[in-house]
Amino acid sequence: MKFSEPSFRTQLVFVASGVFIGLLITSQFRSSVPTSSYPSDELAIKKELIKNFLDDQSLLKSKIVVLRDEIGKTQDQSKNLGDQKLIETLNELKKSVGLETAKGDGVEISLNDGVLVKRDEVDSIDQSLIHAADLRDLINVLRSARAEAISINDQRILSNTSITSVGNTILVNNFHLLPPFTVVAIGDTELMSQRLTDVNALPDLYKRQKSKNIQFSFAIKNGLLAPVYNGDFSVKYMKPVNNPT
Amino acid sequence: MTIRERELSLLITSIVVGLLIAVQSRAFTDVASVFGRDTRADAFRELQILKKSNEKLEDEISDLQNQLFKTNDQEESLKAIREEIEKYEMLSGRRDVSGPGVSVTINGKVQDIWLTDMTNELLSAGAEAISINNIRLVDATNGFDTIPNGEIVLNGSILKPPYEFQAIGDKATLRSALEQPQGIFQRINQSLSGLEVKLMEKDLITMEKVL
Repeated sequence: MKFSEPSFRTQLVFVASGVFIGLLITSQFRSSVPTSSYPSDELAIKKELIKNFLDDQSLLKSKIVVLRDEIGKTQDQSKNLGDQKLIETLNELKKSVGLETAKGDGVEISLNDGVLVKRDEVDSIDQSLIHAADLRDLINVLRSARAEAISINDQRILSNTSITSVGNTILVNNFHLLPPFTVVAIGDTELMSQRLTDVNALPDLYKRQKSKNIQFSFAIKNGLLAPVYNGDFSVKYMKPVNNPT
Repeated sequence: MTIRERELSLLITSIVVGLLIAVQSRAFTDVASVFGRDTRADAFRELQILKKSNEKLEDEISDLQNQLFKTNDQEESLKAIREEIEKYEMLSGRRDVSGPGVSVTINGKVQDIWLTDMTNELLSAGAEAISINNIRLVDATNGFDTIPNGEIVLNGSILKPPYEFQAIGDKATLRSALEQPQGIFQRINQSLSGLEVKLMEKDLITMEKVL
């Protein structure tokens, strides 16, 4: 092999390439999102605490449903006392704010993490997981397709529902939900189907369905049910404006 | 080293550089596309949310128990029914409402997902009523939709920047939730460039009924 002294230009090219590669490797490592580093005992305590809160939450929510039901029955009985119009107005409003089970034709959507992925064992950025943002996008699409009532895993979705995630946990109405997710939407089945099959309406979901094996499908169904809202209606700051008539 | 070997080394180096660039850009794209939109794992945030949520549910139970108690007295019962009607009229957008809160302005072009996410963050922070560019968001309001020319439509109206959210609720809580580290403001600014996001606390926000 014949050796010759590389020219200054060649040396410069090699040095620049080396530096560039070094920078890329560094930024590659830096861009990886840190995984949880909580010791296992802390995680166990956290899980136990969450379980306790969730048990309490289920109990409180069922208590709310029972109380609302009891109040409703008592109010219905007072129809005889001449308040019929008032009670009818109230019942109509209850229906509009999700305090009555909605029934009708609609679409049932199934969403699940990738087949082989274990939610507890992967980082929250894993693309094979269903994220809160996916559910928000889906609900937004259903609303734009004029869905009349929506629920996710039997949690009624109202205009004041928040869908957030903390790590791998998804909270709907601040209630802890785990996949598989079943989204029920009652309304115009044709319009909802059109929107759900539009790849541009749900680009990220369709992309990951193809590449990361997340499971996403829907079917038109008759006689679907969206259960009654069992959360709170906190109104502390909002006041009615009494317009002069 | 012969010229041929040198060329070969350069070629291999270039390929490696190219591969690294590709891997790097994919890593960034993946992080931005989905995960810029939600907060990362936080051992205590979930506990805080659940604790607060249970407190709210307990308050609701206490209100409902009071209401049930009032049903024994006809006059009190009627009063409770009227209060309930008023509350549901406000929540469903059948009444003009007012209260303290915040105004958030996003000046610049954004995708509809960011409007969905901002709405969600406001709700999560306890907003009781929200409007965007004077359109109140209630159950009867349709979701955000993007039409082929890229414009965002809500309830049949085209929304144009600046997007101005108004939210009635606790001013300090709303502000701290939006401005917290890894909060929506930080996530929007990390994911989109050239945007101006501003928050103003307001003593009185008024929203008109929509139904």
